[in-house]
Amino acid sequence: MRSFQRKEALSFYLAISPWLVGFLAFTAGPMLISLFASFTNWDLLAAPVWAGLDNYRDLATDSLFIQSMKVTLTYTAAYVPLDLTGGLLLALLVRPRFKGIGVFRTIFYLPTVFSGVAFVVVWLWMLNPNGGLVNLFLGWFGITGPRWLLDPHYALLSLVMMSFWGWGRSMALYLGGMQTIPDELYEASAIDGAGSVRQFFTITLPLLSPIIFFNLVLSVIATFQSFTSAFVATNGGPLDSTLFLVLYIYRQAFEFFHMGYAAALAWVLFAIVLVLTLLLMRSQKFWVFYLGERSE
Amino acid sequence: MKNLLRFLSIVIWLSLVLSACATSPPAEQTGAGGTIVIRAGTGDGGAGLTPHQQIIQNFEDQNPNIIVQLEPVSGRDYYARLLTQLSAKAAPDIMQIGDDAVPSFVTKGAFIPLDTYLKDSNFDTSIYLPGLLDPGKVDGKQYLLPKDYSPLAVYYNKNLFDALSVPYPVDGWTWDDLLATAQKLTVKDSSGNVTQWGIQLPAAWTTGFEYWVAAAGGSLISKDGKNFAGFMDSPEVARAVQFYADLYNKYQVAPQPADLNAFGGGNSEFANGKAAMMIFGRWPQSDFKSNPNINLAVVAPPMDQARANVLFWGGFGIASSSKYPDTAFKYLSYVSGEPGAQVWKDWALPAVKSVADSSGLSSDPIEGVWIGELNHLVPRAYTFTPYWNETADPALRKVLESVILDPSADVKALLAQAAQDAQAALEKLGN
Repeated sequence: MRSFQRKEALSFYLAISPWLVGFLAFTAGPMLISLFASFTNWDLLAAPVWAGLDNYRDLATDSLFIQSMKVTLTYTAAYVPLDLTGGLLLALLVRPRFKGIGVFRTIFYLPTVFSGVAFVVVWLWMLNPNGGLVNLFLGWFGITGPRWLLDPHYALLSLVMMSFWGWGRSMALYLGGMQTIPDELYEASAIDGAGSVRQFFTITLPLLSPIIFFNLVLSVIATFQSFTSAFVATNGGPLDSTLFLVLYIYRQAFEFFHMGYAAALAWVLFAIVLVLTLLLMRSQKFWVFYLGERSE
Repeated sequence: MKNLLRFLSIVIWLSLVLSACATSPPAEQTGAGGTIVIRAGTGDGGAGLTPHQQIIQNFEDQNPNIIVQLEPVSGRDYYARLLTQLSAKAAPDIMQIGDDAVPSFVTKGAFIPLDTYLKDSNFDTSIYLPGLLDPGKVDGKQYLLPKDYSPLAVYYNKNLFDALSVPYPVDGWTWDDLLATAQKLTVKDSSGNVTQWGIQLPAAWTTGFEYWVAAAGGSLISKDGKNFAGFMDSPEVARAVQFYADLYNKYQVAPQPADLNAFGGGNSEFANGKAAMMIFGRWPQSDFKSNPNINLAVVAPPMDQARANVLFWGGFGIASSSKYPDTAFKYLSYVSGEPGAQVWKDWALPAVKSVADSSGLSSDPIEGVWIGELNHLVPRAYTFTPYWNETADPALRKVLESVILDPSADVKALLAQAAQDAQAALEKLGN
């Protein structure tokens, strides 16, 4: 019996060893190294010099770090609710089953499989202040459009607009969630006289809450890691108005070669995301309902 | 089951061993018959690789026991990649880098000094045009030799000047002349919209802006490399920033940047025949020459308190990790010497004087302007401190963005803040 268990354990580890090796070599190893690096000054070439907590202490007085935190938090606060509601609205739109609906579902989902860089470049053309599609369109209504990415007041908003293309991802998840809601509930409520609005708020929304929760967590993590749009479209400007934390980490690491400081920044980012995720997990019991679960 | 497991474990161990082999540094090998392989890293890409390949071909024909492997990495990660390779002792033997990266690479110990090699091989360093060796020098030692370069100049479109009968700018013109010329060439339609601009400016391009500072008689940093305060916030720098900003916002002779993130502001007015002048480096010149909208001519940048210009430069050096520095130097002295310049001259400005003269470039009405500007160079700010890129550069960029975007920006206050920020950043790094 025990030898059978040992054998089973052995074959288990053997079977997952490709993942295990990859995880140790390419995720856990680099994480440990970066944790060590965050306590040093390291320019990639010379040996790292131990700096204790200096890098973490410097964060408090680094105005660009504070700016990048502000930008990242603002972006998260603006984007996450939009992503959650936008994806849900799209899912409701394409929920009815009739011929040809698959085409619309595909169209809305399609942007998420395209490369982020290509999308940003398309948006760059659309948001071009002189002759870009967006300002051309606004011009038809007599509105002089802003200079979008060139205006520190509008640049971050432009990036929020750009990320609408990601709605397809949450739409697909909502759609999957909706299909698991039993039809009987709708039939029963219809007999009781509930309209579609009432049905949405008392059946669809509560039963979708696990999916909403899942999307919320993913969305928060993803926005904290935003990089591509700012890297390609604005490089953090104008006037640092789109300097995401990850972009700042990239700049410190691969433009200034302050590896130690960049590692410290990355660990701060990790800690923030971890704490936020744990808080969200905790909040589940107040608003997330799982089918088959009885409320006390 | 047992056999399957054994088979699987063998496969896994094999793949591990193989992947371990694959990560060991490539090349550095001597081939059959004592052939030496050296690697040459470049940040060029696309058509820019052709001259490299041609020079390598010529070199290998003359040195049958040496193979030069070109390793192009284009894009923004080139330097990060070089440094990673250096720390893994797997860097190319020859590395090409740009001017402002020289001090930081050299202080990190990435390159070997060339002085003894130059002396032992009797390499004549006086073959170069004036000012072209300096960007490869740190603390008096030569680490890199020139590849190509460009100063700044003003392009102008003769068609637009002729249409409005505005006289062409001439060498020795001043900022006042520039403004007057640009105003004459700026055309508005009946409703007040600008249909033609006087001059296209390169937006918040900090290194290009050093020309304006030097022409105003200013400097961004003290000669000892320790002070931005008292320099970045000096009246001369304020004058340069104010004049530059006024061209955009007060006199409105320059179009607003189309893309602040793009090199030079992303404007296309000059290329579209909608701007009469443009101040920039030589890089887009061949496109302008073949552009039907443009009847191209070039003139030196205007002077203010001083006649000044700044140099943009790329060069080659030998990596400190190279196992074949002697062979690498042999190729270096070829690619950066006269034989290399014979090939470069068809692609960029050649660094070697005899080649520039014999090919007629020195006396060409357009190319001669660029080459002549080498006599008016002032040292760029990065030559005084290896920390320029991470201290004053972002601060200056912020000032330029502010004054271009905001017509009511207070230049003096912005510069005072920038000098203070840059100084604080420098003192933090200097310790």
